[in-house]
Amino acid sequence: MSCIAGIDVGTGFTKAVLVDVTAEDSSSPREAPILGRGITRTGAYLEDAARHALRQALHAAGRDRSEVVYVAVTGFGRYAVGFRDIQITEITSGARGATWFFPEASAVLDIGNQSTRAIRLDARGKVSAFKMNEKCAAGSGSFLMRAAKYLQIELEELGELSLRATHPQPISSVCAVLAESEIINHVSAGAAIEDIVRGVHNSLADRAVLLLRRVGVGSDGREASPLVFIGGVARQRGMIAALEERLGRAVWVPPECEFVCAVGAALLGLHRWRKVRGEAFPSSTSP
Amino acid sequence: MRFAAGVDVGSTQTKAVILAAGEGDSESPRIVARAVVDTGAHVSRAAERAFHAACREAGLDPREIGLVVGTGYGRYKIAFGHAQVTEISCHARGAHFVLPETRTVIDIGGQDAKVIRVGPEGEVRDFVMNDKCAAGTGRFLANAAEVLGLRLEEIGPLSLQATDPVKLTTVCTVFVESDILSYLAQGRRPEDILRGVHLAIARRTVSLARRIPIEPAVTFTGGVARNVGMVRALEEVLGLSIHVSPEFHFMGALGAALFALDRLEHRAEVGAARHERN
Repeated sequence: MSCIAGIDVGTGFTKAVLVDVTAEDSSSPREAPILGRGITRTGAYLEDAARHALRQALHAAGRDRSEVVYVAVTGFGRYAVGFRDIQITEITSGARGATWFFPEASAVLDIGNQSTRAIRLDARGKVSAFKMNEKCAAGSGSFLMRAAKYLQIELEELGELSLRATHPQPISSVCAVLAESEIINHVSAGAAIEDIVRGVHNSLADRAVLLLRRVGVGSDGREASPLVFIGGVARQRGMIAALEERLGRAVWVPPECEFVCAVGAALLGLHRWRKVRGEAFPSSTSP
Repeated sequence: MRFAAGVDVGSTQTKAVILAAGEGDSESPRIVARAVVDTGAHVSRAAERAFHAACREAGLDPREIGLVVGTGYGRYKIAFGHAQVTEISCHARGAHFVLPETRTVIDIGGQDAKVIRVGPEGEVRDFVMNDKCAAGTGRFLANAAEVLGLRLEEIGPLSLQATDPVKLTTVCTVFVESDILSYLAQGRRPEDILRGVHLAIARRTVSLARRIPIEPAVTFTGGVARNVGMVRALEEVLGLSIHVSPEFHFMGALGAALFALDRLEHRAEVGAARHERN
């Protein structure tokens, strides 16, 4: 059976998903048509990471490489993947993936290891504005990773821990490195770990909200439609809570949030593959 | 003999200097002891440890030290200190003491970078410092060393062997890690990567200072001044030669000790005047 691969070569992790070529015909878009997933640390060898993640996804799906008819690649390392059929920006793939899970989505917030992206969508799910913050680690997932490291907590535990905070500690430094001394000071002053972690989430959420406001989210008249939070950081429940508190609206997180750009790439790849083959596709699901 | 001490509580290390007052008007004060300890999480304890270590080094009882001035980011946590002076003033004062012609001080520490314009008497005329981000600080170098699996002391000398320096795409201390990894993956040599790292910090320092004219003599202070690669990179970017005193690491503490000595002498003069009146 033919399938399409979507690979997202991110700065921290490389994600791969396989979707069936009939995915776009699925009557219930929220049921992800994902056949298999793979994830690996990106490291320095970008194409190797892409190959490795794809191999994992094939294994999980019980498919053979020869069944992959089209490879769509997104993420910062997309141009390093020589076996790609098409490259797609993270903005386009993120928006497509998010609207697959939430067709009514009005905005997307994508926080990965090194970059934060805010995307505003129009009523048809098209990107109408976006902003990203990729010059420095302030507001990115690596900020959390570093915080987890010096607090000696697993990254996965941060999210839950943060929800138990009673007196969130302020972190005034925007810089992930300078914040480290602030965190150390809070620890030595005897602050509770959960309060410090929540402070870190609050600081990250402040940056994200600033970015969302700058693309017009919250003033575009589409506040009733879902704001979708994707990327690895969307796994952190404390982060979701911090965002909801600041935005005063619900934040929606798709399952397997770190794979959303890869899913978007695969769906866009499928669309492209069908077009190239001259196939007609149902108008209701065309991106 | 009158003694005074300066304690500089930095983000990474805490330094202490003990000075003996010069005899008469002509003799200048002299350094009788120095000590350095890691700051760690307990700032006040680090200050105490550094101070006591310096006292031991000098063979003095802490009670023999007439006055202690604290400086550095943790200066307000020094429980035994008598006064605090900003590290800006202390670095200027220290640099003027070791090289009176100093008109510019570049101070790069573990988490901070400063450019200070100094007047002929060692007074601060103007200064700029990084406040929002750690770009261009010692941490940037420490991260680069860690990613390359090298010790911090090795990277400066190694960078001087570069033939084809890389151009870094970021000055973010966190992102530089992936920049370095991708250069390594492209097969670039560690010395060329390191030269690129040093040049990036030097350029960052100069752009930090843009509203301050950098005039000679330039004295380079702070822990990063021990890195010969950084000295060369700054010289290349500035087109000036740079002076590094053997006391570079203790410049803040030295300045603080000089301020402490001032106060001590002033107190002695006031005391003497009072004595005469009586």
